[in-house]
Amino acid sequence: MTTARARSFTDVLLSVENISLSFGGVKALTNISFDIRKGEIRAIIGPNGAGKSSMLNCINGFYHPQEGAITYKGQRRSRMRPHAAAEQGIARTFQNIALFRGMSTLDNIMTGRNLRMRTGLFWQALRLGPADREEIEHRKVVERIIDFLEIQHIRKVPVGQLPYGLQKRVELGRALAAEPELLLLDEPMAGMNLEEKQDMCRFVLDVNDEFGTTICLIEHDMGVVMDISDRVVVLDYGKKIGDGAPDEVKRDQAVIDAYLGVSH
Amino acid sequence: MLYREAGQFKASYQADQAIFPVAQDRLVMLALLVIAFLVVPFVTSEYVYRAVLIPTVILSLAAIGLNVLMGYCGQVSLGSGAFMGVGAYAAYNLAVRLPFLNPFVCILLSGFVAAAVGIVFGIPSLRIKGFYLACATLAAQFFGDWAFLRIKWVTNYTPSGSVNAPPLQLFGWDLSSPTANYLVALGITLALALAVKNIVRGHIGRQWMAIRDMDIAAEIIGVRPLYAKLSAFAVSSFLIGVAGAMWAFLYLGSWEPAAFDINRSFSLMFMVIIGGLGSILGSALGAIFIVLLPIFLNQALPPLGAAVGWQISTATVSHFESMIFGALIVFFLVVEPHGLARLWSIGKEKLRLWPFPH
Amino acid sequence: MGFFLEVLIGGLLAGVLYSLVALGFVLIFKASGVFNFAQGAMVLTAGLALVRALDVFEQWHWPFGLALLSAFAFAAVIMAIIAWMVERLVLRKLVNQEDIILFMATIGITFFLEGLAQTLFGADVYPLNVGLPKDPIFLLESLFDGGILVNELDIWAAVAAGLLVAGLALFFQRTRIGRALRAVADDHAAAQSVGIPLNQIWFIVWLVAGLVALVAGAVWGSKLGVQFSLSLLALKALPVLILGGFTSVPGAIIGGLIIGAGEKLAEVFLGPSMGGGIEIWFAYVVALLFLLFRPQGLFGERIIERV
Repeated sequence: MTTARARSFTDVLLSVENISLSFGGVKALTNISFDIRKGEIRAIIGPNGAGKSSMLNCINGFYHPQEGAITYKGQRRSRMRPHAAAEQGIARTFQNIALFRGMSTLDNIMTGRNLRMRTGLFWQALRLGPADREEIEHRKVVERIIDFLEIQHIRKVPVGQLPYGLQKRVELGRALAAEPELLLLDEPMAGMNLEEKQDMCRFVLDVNDEFGTTICLIEHDMGVVMDISDRVVVLDYGKKIGDGAPDEVKRDQAVIDAYLGVSH
Repeated sequence: MLYREAGQFKASYQADQAIFPVAQDRLVMLALLVIAFLVVPFVTSEYVYRAVLIPTVILSLAAIGLNVLMGYCGQVSLGSGAFMGVGAYAAYNLAVRLPFLNPFVCILLSGFVAAAVGIVFGIPSLRIKGFYLACATLAAQFFGDWAFLRIKWVTNYTPSGSVNAPPLQLFGWDLSSPTANYLVALGITLALALAVKNIVRGHIGRQWMAIRDMDIAAEIIGVRPLYAKLSAFAVSSFLIGVAGAMWAFLYLGSWEPAAFDINRSFSLMFMVIIGGLGSILGSALGAIFIVLLPIFLNQALPPLGAAVGWQISTATVSHFESMIFGALIVFFLVVEPHGLARLWSIGKEKLRLWPFPH
Repeated sequence: MGFFLEVLIGGLLAGVLYSLVALGFVLIFKASGVFNFAQGAMVLTAGLALVRALDVFEQWHWPFGLALLSAFAFAAVIMAIIAWMVERLVLRKLVNQEDIILFMATIGITFFLEGLAQTLFGADVYPLNVGLPKDPIFLLESLFDGGILVNELDIWAAVAAGLLVAGLALFFQRTRIGRALRAVADDHAAAQSVGIPLNQIWFIVWLVAGLVALVAGAVWGSKLGVQFSLSLLALKALPVLILGGFTSVPGAIIGGLIIGAGEKLAEVFLGPSMGGGIEIWFAYVVALLFLLFRPQGLFGERIIERV
């Protein structure tokens, strides 16, 4: 196993300050702060139920934390709808695949471009001139993503019929189509076999290298996390118990306890 | 052996995105158009126009409208009958109050009125889903029933509550013959069907389908539920409204509010389910089916009953009709939720391989 | 004042009858997550079976009590057959489908039942007499001039509804089957995995809803005569459900009272200035406004969405 890549980043893209989130008395997140820097791969790890997905849901505006603030690109924001987060360049994939099952791979990824498509109903109905040009232009971008993810052969297949691993890949494609600045990946490798995991790691690293996309991912496979991430946040029972480079985190006593299940 | 796409390569994205990418489909479509526009008018009797062709064509458009909402955007509506009524009464009022407008202009404008009303009744869809929304659309239906009957302004204070369409003419031509009605309805329906097909395969259609398949994920990738849902309501109501205005002007001639009651809503919903959710072609197939079945039953059941010594009244026939519709709805939902349209494409797939088994 | 009270009480009593129909909806929704549009058609079917069987037995000169009981038994058997067929032919095939597909399937069932019931039992208006008194009575004559006119039948209907609700509440809370029903409502797959027989539960709950429909059919039939319009009661019950919440038995009752009273008062006091007949949509508009502010209804549970 290789050690973590030694890279350093300085510009803060997104920072989370003292966030707390609860559902009718059940605390999902307690007083959490961390930041994501431009260009890095940031991992969030922790045992099941630690609040990792809730954290991502807060970042992209699906949940609204009761306390604390999120600052993105220097702007503090309060209650924001998910589509507003998308408009600001935050895209994500889901733990339980959330593709549009009735649509083809191509249409799913094209949907990721919808924020950049502007022609109105009238031109769409005629599908002449601007509407047609726009469709072709975005189709070209999408075809590049399809090539990148090596899914040409399933272009026109309804995604509901695809095997799990490919669905995960299509979902990544849909998020990439938005050309996000910040990409949130919720367990992108869960349930995959070794080969599929290697492919997915390669895609994640390539996205980060080639497009300079900042990535925040949740992952359970420690080997993967240690290999590809620059910095790691560790959550347990909704609290932050560790934050730092993979090597430091790995040696941290609190983190080891959480994973080995020392009683609280 | 005739239906082969081998050797037809697509060299551009335009060609790949065409509505009928296979050459044989284009030929069949062209042949159908020629028959519909050039052959039918010379061979059809007035009865067939009135009983079959005109209703089928107009209801196809209404079914396409409902399919936009239900099949593409996933919002169930039980109020489509009322929206046909909105179109019909809007066209009537435009014709009565602005007599200088041509009736056909009124028909098209009525679509915009219906779209506006559709947006108002679509607002609840931003908060509620599924059958809650179905209940909300029922409110539109009942409110419509009441308004057409009780708000006398709508019927221009006609004492009987029944209103008449203005005489149809365009550039001095009389267009009130069944043949003319049929050709006009067919032209409008085909033009709008093409427009809808274009919308649903573009980015607005993809937003609708994204909302249908998984609304949360759609919002997270940047689809605004407000725009997507209300635009679906608007487009759907526009089409249903135009269909309603044509139903009134080209088919009924004079009508009462009962023409647009809840039974109309249900029959449109049946067309969409039997024809196929999320299919333009399916909407038309569903309309054909729903128009033809009662005619068929009325012809076939009484002699059949007489053969076994059972006197079958028209009431009984309508009960049978109700049973058969009910059973078919369940059958299609259980066996083939994509309806006749899916059966059609399975048939085409078989034809592509024929005569080889695989 | 006397007139206002009379309208109010008339509305409340009509509301009880809406509640009876809404109860059937709630039962099925609670136990199977299915929004059963066919509840109205079930009321029609049960009512027709009851009144036609009663006619036949009376023609055979059976004593009234025996004829009535047999007719109820006959209608109950019909409802059981329907429940069995629905489970076999529809629900079993649509397990794990989206709710809205099941909803549309019940619309199919509605049309099928309407056609079937009228083919089998006839399509006229049949007066029904199950021995409930129908005389109008006057209450509080000492307080108001002329008192308040109330139909005795409506009071019996209210009593019947109250008994049904009490019985159903006990059934859901106290019996093993009741608990299983609630488990199934929460999660089909999970309930199955702990050994609750899904198909049997569905049959039972549709049967119970069928029997509730029978009671509703008997009461409404005595009031209006058994006729096709009973099927449209389903449409009256929907706003009640929205108001009360789809999963709440008390909600169905209170929602029914609010809608019943509200629409009568609106019709009498607002209607004349609006051209009359606002009863049809008033309930829906109330329910709709309510939905916008409290989508889960008065007693429904709030749902937290996850991804």
